[in-house]
Amino acid sequence: MRTATFKSRAFAFISATSLLAALVVVSPATAAVATGPTCDAATPVQTCTGTTSDGALYEMRVPATFNGTVTIWSHGFGSNTSFPSAGLTIDSSAQIAPGNNAAVVKYLTDKGVAVIGSGFSTQGWNLDEAVKTNAELVGVFKAKFTDTKKVVAWGYSMGGGITQAFAEQHPELLSAAVVMNPVDAWDAQSKYFVDLLWLLKNWFDPSIKLTGYAAGVTGDIQMLQDIAKYTAMLQSLQASVATGAWPATSSASAKALQSAGIPSRSALLMVGRLAGISAQSSSFDGIAGPATSAVTAWPLAYAPALATLENISAVIGYALLGARDMQSKMGGVTFDNSTTNYSKQLSAADRAVYNAGFSGNTAIAGMLSTLNPLNPDAPRVKADPVALAKSKASMYQSTGKIKVPTIVMIGEHDPVEPAGIVQRMADLYEQDFAAAKEAAKSTNRTNGYVAPRRQLAVLWSVTPKTWSKFTAEGLPIPVAKTPGTGHTNFTAAQYTFLLDAALTAASTGALPRKLEVNQSLTKLKLTIDRGSAYPWMKHYTTN
Amino acid sequence: MSSKARRTLLIVQAVIAVGALSLSALPAQALSPRQEVGVTSSAIKLGITLPMKGSASFGYNQLPDAMKAYFSYVNANGGVNGRKVTLVVKDDGYLPKQAIQNTQDLIGKDKVFAMVGALGTANNQAVADAVNLGRRGIPSLFINTGFSGFNNRSAYPTSSTLLPSYIMEAKMISKYVKETYADKKICLLYQDDDFGDDALVGFDKDHGNLTFTSKIAYPSLSQGVAGVPDSWVTKFKAAGCEVQIVFGVSTATLYFVMGAAKAQYGPKWILGSVGADVASINPATIPYIIGATSMSFLPSVVDPKDEYVAKFKEIHATYNSKAKFNSWALIGMNAAFLTVQALKAGGKKLTRASLLAALDSDGAKFANAGLVPLNYSKTSNVGYNGYWFGKFNSAGDLVPNDTFTYTVYTTDSGTGAVEKSSYSRPSMPAKGLPN
Repeated sequence: MRTATFKSRAFAFISATSLLAALVVVSPATAAVATGPTCDAATPVQTCTGTTSDGALYEMRVPATFNGTVTIWSHGFGSNTSFPSAGLTIDSSAQIAPGNNAAVVKYLTDKGVAVIGSGFSTQGWNLDEAVKTNAELVGVFKAKFTDTKKVVAWGYSMGGGITQAFAEQHPELLSAAVVMNPVDAWDAQSKYFVDLLWLLKNWFDPSIKLTGYAAGVTGDIQMLQDIAKYTAMLQSLQASVATGAWPATSSASAKALQSAGIPSRSALLMVGRLAGISAQSSSFDGIAGPATSAVTAWPLAYAPALATLENISAVIGYALLGARDMQSKMGGVTFDNSTTNYSKQLSAADRAVYNAGFSGNTAIAGMLSTLNPLNPDAPRVKADPVALAKSKASMYQSTGKIKVPTIVMIGEHDPVEPAGIVQRMADLYEQDFAAAKEAAKSTNRTNGYVAPRRQLAVLWSVTPKTWSKFTAEGLPIPVAKTPGTGHTNFTAAQYTFLLDAALTAASTGALPRKLEVNQSLTKLKLTIDRGSAYPWMKHYTTN
Repeated sequence: MSSKARRTLLIVQAVIAVGALSLSALPAQALSPRQEVGVTSSAIKLGITLPMKGSASFGYNQLPDAMKAYFSYVNANGGVNGRKVTLVVKDDGYLPKQAIQNTQDLIGKDKVFAMVGALGTANNQAVADAVNLGRRGIPSLFINTGFSGFNNRSAYPTSSTLLPSYIMEAKMISKYVKETYADKKICLLYQDDDFGDDALVGFDKDHGNLTFTSKIAYPSLSQGVAGVPDSWVTKFKAAGCEVQIVFGVSTATLYFVMGAAKAQYGPKWILGSVGADVASINPATIPYIIGATSMSFLPSVVDPKDEYVAKFKEIHATYNSKAKFNSWALIGMNAAFLTVQALKAGGKKLTRASLLAALDSDGAKFANAGLVPLNYSKTSNVGYNGYWFGKFNSAGDLVPNDTFTYTVYTTDSGTGAVEKSSYSRPSMPAKGLPN
């Protein structure tokens, strides 16, 4: 995500413009020859600019007190489609910190740390291009500032995934990494995106195109038409949460579910549970209820659906732009759900926990039956084999393996990058760490056991105990920026805490000891919990 | 001295120096072997999450004080292997998300040793899944649910349930109904979730083999929607139902019997164990359930000759004197009584692992008020496996008959027969304190 994005607004959140990023054009990258760095020699911090060989605009801020450590920032997902009248523009300007946050940049340069980053040569799903740009940019910086000793990579969202992939592919360049709410590997991330998009289309508006967009402007218009339809669909679902009415555009199968007495909010909740989006959001905690007779019914039957709706509204723009971008890049559809058994994507715990929200087991069975691959009213998406082969041959799939000291932060209810992405990294690391301990025991049997140092610290951005609010009449009140919810909902204090830990790791070669007992964590609404169990992305658990 | 030997000596000297510093700087406890969370040489801290307020709290909210009453009695008599037992109680309003948060707080902030007596199928599925009790090795003992899924040892390696499974219950109801009301029209109202689906298994042709003239599945919460309970009455009455089984929660029973009375629908009522206690919600409804059949694995709370009832009542009068000694008090104190035995069997060097191992090896032999056997073993997480049938008297108490003689049935969650139990309950230990 860049500076302005798909903010959720609880009740006023669903409009075509709010689902699209208000991205500002600086200039599409076109240069193909490296330039710079050209420095202004300013004091106490000089600024250097240039372009990498792929045309990415970059910027460097180097303090006069440069201590040999440099951070390289990777920004989040940006639109690869330019359609200014619809609020879609391409921004390839250099980014050196989250939103080029001046306070964070100053915090670093005041410490003698240089701060660099680029705008990347292309937007959309740009992981492979961005890793190459970053590797080149580190080389450019080191050539210019030859006393460079340590490099710390950091980024969030798409940039979190880029940072992780950078560390996996070029550990020799990095001393530490800060990975914040990273995208998962494309296979997992695209399943999350397209499951959401397809399930919504399938039940609530089959006229949505979703796949097979034309090239160029025609395709842009087709995608924008889809955005408008998703917007109308979500507005309709929001308006009928209480009544349970289905959108007029719903499929025949959906109308049969409606006739059977299943409310649309149950289907909406089912979409969320099958895709794996959180059922707790900035406004809806699933715990508090209005001080009325609905005090129990509200959090069980309504809040999960409304939270799902709020979260979907926050991710659907990314999902559609990302899916369409990949179709353009690969020359066809790479997603395939022709054999997906969606019934398997409903966990036993979800079936029980959200039972009232689903309207019971009979309703669950009815909804899942309409998702049978043989139902002609629910046509599946079949991947284009040429596009699929191209994607498999050309795209790097992040492994989540930790190769340099890494600090990860994610909101436990991030709607764009579910916490399960990081949970998987943490779980895999625990296996690796256990193996490293065993190996250390084995090799040090003679001289005594020397425990290996942890290379990964995961900081979960957590919610308050309850946060939903209601009017005296029992109506929900929108709540913005609840900690632990939303996408890249982080504070400058959290950024600097992570950076300090990463700079220490870069300096010493290991993460700070006892990070989990740091008193600042509670104040920062962060926690380290090695017993966490956020569900992995569905790609890993049902494929 | 070789360089290697010199280096070794220097390291040893450094270690000694650091050790000396530590000895002077750290409290004695820090030098002892790593402490198990929630247990010290003098105390054991336990946790429970259940609804203490709200529509689902009736009756259940009396359990913690009853449990505490028994723990207080044990503590006053030396504790468990010298350790005083405390219970931290949190209200979850019967909401899964709150139960998850409560459990996380109990484990992470209150630092409890184990969970005990938590309530509800969905809540405990949610907790086991989200809090990851199994992987962390945290025991959750004597969960108040009969959902058969908890017997999946790989999915719930550290959880154990107390109630007979709902499959067992449905099988026993089937036998009772077929023997008592042969050739009558039998009808079923059940909750449309895992709780009710378990019952359907118990009633099916491979298990209880009970045929229904009419049955209705109600989604959870719909019982509170105006007009819904009346629609049940209309349908069952039109079907000519003569025996009405209710496999739902107490509020469903409450609205159903009230609607039935209004519509003059008067079947023979068979109320499942979960939803029978409408008197706790509203004592004014007792007249609606007089003569209705239900079941229990504990003795009737008004049984004048039962030694467990008598002893628990005596302890309750001292340690929870403001509360009435009722069936909830009996359930709570019995759960605490079992907990104390499990903790004791876990040994003087009590750990979470030793507690779980003790339940597996000794749990089936624990003394308790139950009139049916406990079923704990290395392959079973399920507690009781049987029921006796009785009817509600004019005071709203479930009694087997005028003489308080019990005919107890036992079975399994599979296709095994429902049989009369020959189980002989262990005597109440002296002074009500387990050996």
